[in-house]
Amino acid sequence: MDAMKGKQGLTNQLFLFNPSFIGSCLSQCSRLLALRMSTPARKRLVRDFNRLHQDPPAGISGAPHDNNIMLWNAVIFGPDDTPWDGGTFKLTLQFTEDYPNKPPTVRFVSRMFHPNIYANGSICLDILRNQWSPIYEVSAILISIQSLLCDPNPNSPANSEAARLFSENKREYNKRVRETVEQSWTAD
Amino acid sequence: MESTTTSVPKSDADNWENFRDEDTMQQQSAILAEEAEKIPFIGDKEPISALAVEYQSGSPILMQKIKVLDEQYSSIRRTRGDGNCFFRSFMFSYLEHILETQDKVEVDRITVNVEECKKTLQNLGYADFIFEDFFALFLEQLESVIQGKDTSISHNELVTRSRDQSISDYVVMFFRFVTSGEIQKRSEFFEPFILGLTNSTVDQFCKSSVEPMGEESDHVHITALSDALGVPIRVVYLDRSSCDTGGISVTMIFYTPSNACRLALTLAREDGSDLTRPYMD
Repeated sequence: MDAMKGKQGLTNQLFLFNPSFIGSCLSQCSRLLALRMSTPARKRLVRDFNRLHQDPPAGISGAPHDNNIMLWNAVIFGPDDTPWDGGTFKLTLQFTEDYPNKPPTVRFVSRMFHPNIYANGSICLDILRNQWSPIYEVSAILISIQSLLCDPNPNSPANSEAARLFSENKREYNKRVRETVEQSWTAD
Repeated sequence: MESTTTSVPKSDADNWENFRDEDTMQQQSAILAEEAEKIPFIGDKEPISALAVEYQSGSPILMQKIKVLDEQYSSIRRTRGDGNCFFRSFMFSYLEHILETQDKVEVDRITVNVEECKKTLQNLGYADFIFEDFFALFLEQLESVIQGKDTSISHNELVTRSRDQSISDYVVMFFRFVTSGEIQKRSEFFEPFILGLTNSTVDQFCKSSVEPMGEESDHVHITALSDALGVPIRVVYLDRSSCDTGGISVTMIFYTPSNACRLALTLAREDGSDLTRPYMD
């Protein structure tokens, strides 16, 4: 009975939050509950999931894959009143059983033009590398990536062209960002 | 959708931008793994003379200091120099001490302090689910070294657990949470020390130098942990400094919280690469 009640509760929340990219949440919720008593990493991910949906940060959504809680899809919306405004950028987060002691591998699926994002979508962000700490849950990771969009660190470029334009030709840089935003609407 | 995202597709191999950063990360973890094979998190007991063999061709001051140590302590344990060595040695020393003394009064006392640390983190705005597993795992270890229960463990098992990454890393993180909470709670006290050390704010310091795994501990960390848990800590520095008086003595720094009642001992080598745990005779 309790399990049913929990499932119902989660389902309601998920209907409120429904980017098409996330999808198929219903079957996933029952699996999440079934995983409740499993490994520390999985248990923690269930709590990360609950947190993200009870207290969703502005412009951020995310959920585990159908039948795999270790692989998440997420969407970050470009912050308002910035060149990124209106963009819907998709990412994947791959966790291991070492989570939360080790960070997930986070990658943009959407094509990005940003000084700290590699051509293959991987992100150069200290908290996902040597500055990782278990204090960061999924919500905090996505917030950090969202703020990285408008606040790049040109000192550790992952895309040299984007880094160069960001510091030398802001106009051209913003134009390229706007193109990326438009691509994000049409790309799979 | 890729099932793993760590491998780099072959077609991207020509483009250095695609894998440079990850390559570095892989190299780093390979180096760490190599190191891990050489030294466990907590080594076996060794005589102090083992240190002397290691430094035979080194500075004569070091050799003299090792001799002084040999007179005061019976043995050492090495720990892995992975940036968590202070916390790992503190974990082992403290739990071993409780296992040997079966001091239930001390267990009750530290349990109250741990509960207080939990409240500190809550007051600072940390969500319970972020830290509770780490707290629970430490309390579980603490309970298991008290004998006479189904869950009680032997000394050998304590050594095994201290070398088990899944347990050791969780306890290290527990200490990091406690340390960070204490520093933030008493930020006015710690601020000048932190400014002198890193020129960063208390908050930045905790985020970048306390909470991430592998960040080395210094006076600020040790003071905060000692105060928060109410456990005195002695750090012995094996460095090349000598005294003006001509005599050789080993620099010892005592961290004594006001409500201190027990002694945990650690020994740091000059390069900070490994902390060893001397045993009093």
